[in-house]
Amino acid sequence: MKKSGRGEMINFEKLLKKFTKLNEKELVKLDKACGWSLNAAELRQAQACFRKTKREPARGELETLAQTWSEHCKHKTFSGPVRFRSKSRTKRYKNLFKETIVKATKTLNKPWCLSVFKDNAGIVEFGRDKKWGLAFKAETHNHPCAVEPYGGAETGVGGVIRDILGVGLGAKPVLNTDNFCFGRLDSKMKLPRHALSPERVFRGVVEGVRDYGNRMGIPTASGGIYFDDGYLLNPLVYVGCAGLIPVNKIDKKVRPGDLIISIGGRTGRDGIHGATFSSANIDEETSASAVQIGHAINGKKTLDVLMKARDLNLYDAVTDCGAGGFSSAVGELGAETGARVRLENAKLKDTRIEPWEIWVSESQERMILAVPPGKLCALEDILNAENCEYCVLGEFTSDGRLLVTFDNETVADLEMDFLHEGLPNFEKEAVFPAPAARRRPSEKSNKPYLRTLKELLAHPNVCSRHSVITQYDHEVQGGTVIKPLQGRFGDGPGDAAVIWPHSATGDMRDFSGFAATHGFNPAVGRINPYQMALYSVDEAVRNLLCVGAEVSRTAILDNFCAASPKDPRVMGGLVLAAEGCHDAAMAYGAPFISGKDSFYNQSKDAGGRQYPIPLSLLISAVAPVTDIRKAVTINFKEAGSPVYLAGICRKGFGGSVYDELSGTGDNLISEVKMKDAVRLYAAVLKAMKRGFVAAAHDVSQGGLAVTLAEMAFSGGFGAELDLDEAAAEKGLSEPELLFGESPSRLVLEVAKEKEPQFLKLVKGLPVKEIGFVREEPILDIRLGDKRLLKEDINILKGLWKRELL
Amino acid sequence: MIIEVWTKEKYSVNEEAGLIGRLAHAGLPVKTARLSRLYKIEAPFHKKDFDRIAAELLTDKITERYSLSARPALFPKGPKRCARPGLKKFYRVEVWLKNSVTDVVGESVKEAIRDIMGGQPRNVRFGRAYYIACGSESRLKRAVSTTLMNEIVNVYSVTKGKAKG
Amino acid sequence: MSKPKAIILRGTGTNCDIETMNSFRYAGADAELVHINELLSAKKKVLDYDIMAFPGGFSYGDDISAGKIFAVKLAGLSKDFEAFINDARPVIGICNGFQILVKTGFLPENRGNKPVSTLYTNDCGHFMAKWIKLKINKKSPCIFTRGLPEEIELPIANGEGKFIVEDKKVLDGILRLNLHALTYSDNPNGSMRGIAGVTNKSGTCLGLMPHPERNLFAYQRPDRPSSTALRASFGSAQGRPAGFKEALAAGHQFFRNAVEYVNG
Repeated sequence: MKKSGRGEMINFEKLLKKFTKLNEKELVKLDKACGWSLNAAELRQAQACFRKTKREPARGELETLAQTWSEHCKHKTFSGPVRFRSKSRTKRYKNLFKETIVKATKTLNKPWCLSVFKDNAGIVEFGRDKKWGLAFKAETHNHPCAVEPYGGAETGVGGVIRDILGVGLGAKPVLNTDNFCFGRLDSKMKLPRHALSPERVFRGVVEGVRDYGNRMGIPTASGGIYFDDGYLLNPLVYVGCAGLIPVNKIDKKVRPGDLIISIGGRTGRDGIHGATFSSANIDEETSASAVQIGHAINGKKTLDVLMKARDLNLYDAVTDCGAGGFSSAVGELGAETGARVRLENAKLKDTRIEPWEIWVSESQERMILAVPPGKLCALEDILNAENCEYCVLGEFTSDGRLLVTFDNETVADLEMDFLHEGLPNFEKEAVFPAPAARRRPSEKSNKPYLRTLKELLAHPNVCSRHSVITQYDHEVQGGTVIKPLQGRFGDGPGDAAVIWPHSATGDMRDFSGFAATHGFNPAVGRINPYQMALYSVDEAVRNLLCVGAEVSRTAILDNFCAASPKDPRVMGGLVLAAEGCHDAAMAYGAPFISGKDSFYNQSKDAGGRQYPIPLSLLISAVAPVTDIRKAVTINFKEAGSPVYLAGICRKGFGGSVYDELSGTGDNLISEVKMKDAVRLYAAVLKAMKRGFVAAAHDVSQGGLAVTLAEMAFSGGFGAELDLDEAAAEKGLSEPELLFGESPSRLVLEVAKEKEPQFLKLVKGLPVKEIGFVREEPILDIRLGDKRLLKEDINILKGLWKRELL
Repeated sequence: MIIEVWTKEKYSVNEEAGLIGRLAHAGLPVKTARLSRLYKIEAPFHKKDFDRIAAELLTDKITERYSLSARPALFPKGPKRCARPGLKKFYRVEVWLKNSVTDVVGESVKEAIRDIMGGQPRNVRFGRAYYIACGSESRLKRAVSTTLMNEIVNVYSVTKGKAKG
Repeated sequence: MSKPKAIILRGTGTNCDIETMNSFRYAGADAELVHINELLSAKKKVLDYDIMAFPGGFSYGDDISAGKIFAVKLAGLSKDFEAFINDARPVIGICNGFQILVKTGFLPENRGNKPVSTLYTNDCGHFMAKWIKLKINKKSPCIFTRGLPEEIELPIANGEGKFIVEDKKVLDGILRLNLHALTYSDNPNGSMRGIAGVTNKSGTCLGLMPHPERNLFAYQRPDRPSSTALRASFGSAQGRPAGFKEALAAGHQFFRNAVEYVNG
């Protein structure tokens, strides 16, 4: 990037001073110089707004506006109008998000949803006496992780934890989740000059999540890692957090006269986004993409202070300082009242900072509280006892104005509702040319099935994640009763984590817990974004079922990541996936309670071409576990137990790992039969709650053979299986039976003497006995008289248990 | 003042193997390497105060030792002592966080120094030094920039060193 | 009889304090979280308590080295702590708590409380969380491990757990007096003699890297009960599993032992 000379700067200051009179060219120039990322129409709208005030805006005011109107804060794309065209239809949306995802939640109208889509996280009811709420939120931190993986991941984790601390009057975090998408570690693609290798991004991100999460004392116990070269230049880092909040602490209301108090970290220039060319502060270290390093211990102090102060009712409201820093936190809390802020009171990292920079800096580890003046002393005692820094920034008023000063200088003086009116939004074009269906099952392949199974087990998207998981303190707080690594040797791959949050409730005699897991299928999305959404919700619900969670009480989060929404095909995929989200939520009775989206995940490759990520939808899900002592793991537990397959094996290798390995280009995707799935899952859950099921594991990447192998080697048992009895679609090939990834299936180990009762419960459903567990450590899979494969489970385990890091 | 803390040779095999592995992954095969931790402390203390800080706070006397150096970013006095056999010709790479980046360790050390000394230093920064025996400075720089530091948050320097004797 | 009072000592970055408190409460103690600042300001006094616990975490970020800064802060209070330990009141340091006891010099026990050992970076070079098997030294005077079977399972979760003693005489002393209360069955981090936990001569002060507070109950273990056990516990189709007491696991014993020791 060209260094800006002195001349350029004067020009820029001049432009600022006559903002309302600038022509379009000058506006764009100014926007670029300030790094606002507003488009021409938005800039014109900003001009119009300030013309009404009959004066030129201060820098701080423009920055406030740019922050408030940013994609990050307003989600313009997803909440905007869209026109979707396909061969058969044209559909218009005024607000895509509201007409799909929010609509499902509204229609479902579940009484156990306590707070949805309005606060920093969604909240559902938790526990047996309706005393607690479970808050859940996930977001992404993709760009920072691409350029500085360690700091990016740390601050990502820190940010989502503060969302949980800042929901209602503050929830106590009890679980962190992490889902990563990286380029293949063995990628052969040439990287552009500044791109980091996938191995380096992977390592840095894992270390960042580890160092921050571990220091915060929050177990990182659920997540996934997905490798695909589509993420080579734009890795995705989804971070999530769940927390517990007393139901009487969910509402917050700022009262005029409350003090505005910032606690935790100090404010500094490290939190200034974009190119900042303020006159006094240019140095060679100013980076176009300021990336911060997290300070977990400051985060921990903030957590400790908040939990104490919350229980003593020392504040009326709280929120985190995220994007936009003070400007959005104070703006949000004071939207109904008004606020008076004196920035000279802010605690600073260093003094080389402009007042408007203090106002918008996104320095980490800060929370804003609204504190009644009479309670300040009590709060200060706690802050001092925990060595937590704080400052009194000003007070909330009743005049509906936002007045921000630094000594005598006015940084911003605006009507509160000025910020939120009149953001222009344009209809975006959306198309989705569906690829022609091809079914090419490789029946004629000469490769022995055993070899394929071995390749699948060692595939980076199937193999063990232990080298990552063991770096996370996934059991701090002592409540991770179903662990990411489980079974006889503590290394089997769990489907969902079950958390027993006694560290938040203090009650070791209440065995209520919750399960958390994910669904993620971008490979399906490349072929059919609508089905991708269905697959992901189905997978998430099924994972919850596998541990014995109340799937009828599933609550989900959507996290979309996509390339540029200016590309109608990207928008087309988004529309279809959003429709899928709606339909899946309705079918499974699983409302969305919160969500987030991230666009523009594309960069130039080594040849200078735009390289977009595939449309990526992460579904995160939670559901209550009534009695954590009855939760179920995946490992086989006893020789002689019958093994059942629940669900129907269907045709198609579209989006499967098998297809990637064999390169057949089969893109047939078997559709999710959601009604059937719901009926099946309800019956299986009943059996689990009665203790009839000793082990359960979903069929997902790698197919049925991988599922069976994992259950066997996680328990140290073999199994003798005959797939002839499995419920299957007509014309299903042997490879499809073994390795197909059709949805809504899971394998169950049933307690032998409970088999008759079990069968009564699943009568009429596609639940078929396919064999039994045996002592001898051999996995033996037949189809009638034909042996499909046979191998020692320890050999299979050896191939699967790769050191990824 | 810069306090440089070394793991004693007896205990340093693992951290060295880790470093050598990372360099090899970045395309720089080396046989021997050493590393140390650097604390740059800006405070009007006497040398004996720095010695005390180093001995009582920054060094684990069982597994580590330290050296003091008043000259920042320069070769400290003790390369001979720190060099492993075979590490005669080497480069010394220093990596620091940029001043604009929060230095978490530096902040903790600053407060801990206040706890033992009574007075708080103006500033403390934490960095790392790597001693790497290899032939080509340009290859070293490439390996360092792809594995040991990131231009977005770090600054680094490479100096040529030679152990006496 | 009144319950023994347990002080769960925390500082900035301590993060296993609540589950440690819950564990002591479950075992019958009256446990209270106390920040070290409350001791430094003399608001509270260690000697008012019967049991002391240093829970796990990353005190003060574990910047410099694990437990170091906490140990430095404790220096001003060392008289009270010495009195507490010499009075043979139970003290347990878990993970970061063990690191603190080692860095203060309280463990391994020595005249003058000089640090004679350390807990250094694991051989793998980074943080590691997993379940491991431990051998209980039945000859150890340790009161916390009384009544445990010869081998138990607990999770470890640390970056610096490699136990190193510089002086061979000190190590010999530990071994001769059976102060190594717990050793790893498969040394996961390179600790000398696989030592996972060390006690003092009176057996009342124990430091250990593994986390007993994470294995109070059988259902906290990675291997859930087999269907045979399921059959037993689900004797009735619904409600609480029969024989709840049987679900108690090895970790609970550490806390119960401390409480019973105080109760006499």
